[in-house]
Amino acid sequence: MSKQEMRKRLAALSFSEKVKILEKLRDRSVALAASGLRQKSAEGTREKAEAGKGSKG
Amino acid sequence: MKATLEAINRMQADGVIGEYAIGGAVGATLYLEPAATLDVDIFVTLPTAPGSLLLSLAPLYDYLKSRGGTVKDEHIVIGGWPVQFLPPKNELEREAVAESVPATVEGVTTWVMSAEHLVAIALCTGRSKDHIRILQFIEQDAVDRGKLQGILERHGLTPKWKRFERKYLEGTDE
Repeated sequence: MSKQEMRKRLAALSFSEKVKILEKLRDRSVALAASGLRQKSAEGTREKAEAGKGSKG
Repeated sequence: MKATLEAINRMQADGVIGEYAIGGAVGATLYLEPAATLDVDIFVTLPTAPGSLLLSLAPLYDYLKSRGGTVKDEHIVIGGWPVQFLPPKNELEREAVAESVPATVEGVTTWVMSAEHLVAIALCTGRSKDHIRILQFIEQDAVDRGKLQGILERHGLTPKWKRFERKYLEGTDE
């Protein structure tokens, strides 16, 4: 199924079904935030950038 | 979300709030595919206290806190969802509440802004994520272009819309 078809299919769901998906998405975001994964990922990116600067400079 | 909406409907039945409408990302979900969001934006009309012209959210917060709601920054958590109550700040938002459409979540009736009002408000707000949402409405043919045109004209948003069209829909800016 193409991305476009998938989006259409999701948009055609009932509001109740879509709200259930929203709740799952929210729970996932909250779990990610609680695990510190996002922060770690951001720190990792920053460290890589710093390292990159050092090697070039 | 069911518990959240039931609490809001009860609050309305008890006269703490007047009309309300879901806006923002949750409102857009009625028309588009679901997109991750952490809170619910509820645009709400508030009754004014006798002899006062000031609108206050305090009675609403007191009501919900006495029924188990917990305040977290600018939100109040009801039924697991952080909810932000927003009194309409202009005529466009007042109209969006007045012309909201009924919807049902797990058997609970609620009110959601029309697709065209959501687009007009997103245009007004104008952040990157609002522009992305407008494009989703257009791409998915989820707006009545005639109705949107009327709203934009009524609220003086036509020049802003033209700029948006030039930048995002025609691929040129200015």
